[in-house]
Amino acid sequence: MAQTPSIPLVDIQAVHKAFGGVRAVEDVSVNVYAGEVMALLGHNGAGKSTLMKMLAGAYPIDSGVIRINGEAAKITSPADSQKLGVETIYQTLALADNLDSVANLFLGREIKTRWGTLDDYAMETAAREVFHNLNPNFKNIRVPVRMLSGGQRQVVAISRAVYFKARALIMDEPCAALGPEETRMVHNLVRKLKAAGVGIFLISHDMPDVFGLSDRLCVMKNGKTVGTYRTADVTEDEVLGMIIAGKKPEGKPETGRMAQ
Amino acid sequence: MMALQNRLQVSALDLRLSIMAAVLVAMSVAFHAVTGNFLTPENLYNIAQQSAVVGIVAAAIGLVIVARQIDLSVGSVMATIGVLIAYLMYSHSWHWVPACLAGLALSILIAMYQGWLIAYLGVPSFVVTLGGLMSFRGVAFLISDGRTQPVTDANFLLIGGGLDGALGPTLSWALGVALSALIVWNLVSRRRNAAARGFPMRPLAFDWTLALFFVASTLLFVAVMNAYQLPSKEAGQGIPNPVLIWGAVVMGMAFIVNRTSFGRYVYAIGGNPEAAVLVGIPVKKVMLQLFLLLAVMVTIAAVVSVSRLNAGTSSLGSGMELYVIAAAVIGGVALAGGSGTVLGTVLGALIIQFLESGLLLMDVGIGYRMVIIGQVLIVAVVFDVVYRRATGERL
Repeated sequence: MAQTPSIPLVDIQAVHKAFGGVRAVEDVSVNVYAGEVMALLGHNGAGKSTLMKMLAGAYPIDSGVIRINGEAAKITSPADSQKLGVETIYQTLALADNLDSVANLFLGREIKTRWGTLDDYAMETAAREVFHNLNPNFKNIRVPVRMLSGGQRQVVAISRAVYFKARALIMDEPCAALGPEETRMVHNLVRKLKAAGVGIFLISHDMPDVFGLSDRLCVMKNGKTVGTYRTADVTEDEVLGMIIAGKKPEGKPETGRMAQ
Repeated sequence: MMALQNRLQVSALDLRLSIMAAVLVAMSVAFHAVTGNFLTPENLYNIAQQSAVVGIVAAAIGLVIVARQIDLSVGSVMATIGVLIAYLMYSHSWHWVPACLAGLALSILIAMYQGWLIAYLGVPSFVVTLGGLMSFRGVAFLISDGRTQPVTDANFLLIGGGLDGALGPTLSWALGVALSALIVWNLVSRRRNAAARGFPMRPLAFDWTLALFFVASTLLFVAVMNAYQLPSKEAGQGIPNPVLIWGAVVMGMAFIVNRTSFGRYVYAIGGNPEAAVLVGIPVKKVMLQLFLLLAVMVTIAAVVSVSRLNAGTSSLGSGMELYVIAAAVIGGVALAGGSGTVLGTVLGALIIQFLESGLLLMDVGIGYRMVIIGQVLIVAVVFDVVYRRATGERL
């Protein structure tokens, strides 16, 4: 990216979410710019996944605004979010185990023939290309995905973001269940997408992931933000301090702007 | 085994369908050996005709079960619709076409009500349709005050088969040949399309064997139906109308399952409901549409059964919900959802009717028949569990 974009690609402003009496997300603001990786950290139950599910359209927001390219977005369903160019790779991968890889890649957004029926040939052709680019060894794409390995299942989930040309991408613990080889594949992909100008929210517990991939990081605790920093400005210990104790590192500037 | 399965691109499901077809053949040979008159055109003609009503509903309820739902009210709703149609024709002298349309309208209304409770309010379908099982049996009674409504319209009665309600030899052969051509055309165009895109293909010989098996089954079926001749008639009967309707329903359902996104969404919902929501499938809408689809099939079944019985009575289809669910389950539809085929429901309905008919020919009493059919259902489910465990399919 030659020039710094002036407005964030995705700007989440003062968002609240409560489940019954439990305040899952309270007054959280976080943003990501095009071509940037924003890491979201925190304990289980800190509100990261809930926050991202609101952006993905899986939960409605109670109050607050989500702006995409500066425009307030109305996201009431996953389909709304997808239409705005936001793709999500869930920790659970959101795959229908009984269907094959091609069907899963296009699930909810099938290619149709001019008679409105499923165009299996077009879908398989496109799917083979996407899968091949992600992992050339992935060949058995016509078996139910429950028969696939963890890495292959991850490829199927990621392929949705690649095929549908995500502008913004949410990745929830993308490497949690993967071996070293597949983790490297995911890291390369993140760098490739980033270079292509995709804005990425990366939820992760894994410090090497966070420090290896992210430009900025935002720590959450008990549904609130502790702070947002340039990844290069903070150390691993300081980040752990924020996650565990909610303690801001001293003398480090917080930033709502893109890292340079 | 796995390697061969992969090479032939046969799924565990295809294999199990073949096993069931083999069971069907074995059953008919065994019954014929014992009774001596099972494999006669007359008996097979009657079996085909008697399976149709259960088969029509089973084809649709299979899809409902795939989506992890159930409908226990189909027998009672069928009675309500059947009585309404007969009542409009007999007590109000309606023509049969508007009477059937009125039946369809009521069926859709009932499905909107039950489907809305299930899809949008999230009430378990078991509970909603258990209530429906009782209520709609009552509605069937209320419509005509419990009185049987005889039906005499000759055209309407053709729908249910009977003496004249069959296609006749010439048209039956024409249909058989047309279906065979369709099977072959489908094979050729599928292979050509796959070859043009460089997709891996099944061995040519295997594909042709499979296609020829279906062609042979189709033509054999037509031949048997044509061989059945009533003493009072000059030509054979041919395919009976209820079976024709059943066949159309099965082809329609197979089209929906394999070629439309609606069908794919139903399987996705059954496989992983949370994922279906997260990828943006309108789960509630799909669920409601599914019950509407079932309502259409129940209406068709109601029309066929009123026509077969020459009357609408409030006891129409009582206990049918159990038969259609049994047919679907015996046919390999998993109650856990996400798996099952339309063709399986056909085989399931036939297996039940083969048993009924075979045991009847053996002079087995009604009590024993019920015991045996009930236990066969359990055998089918045990087989299902063992088979899925062995092939790594979902339970």
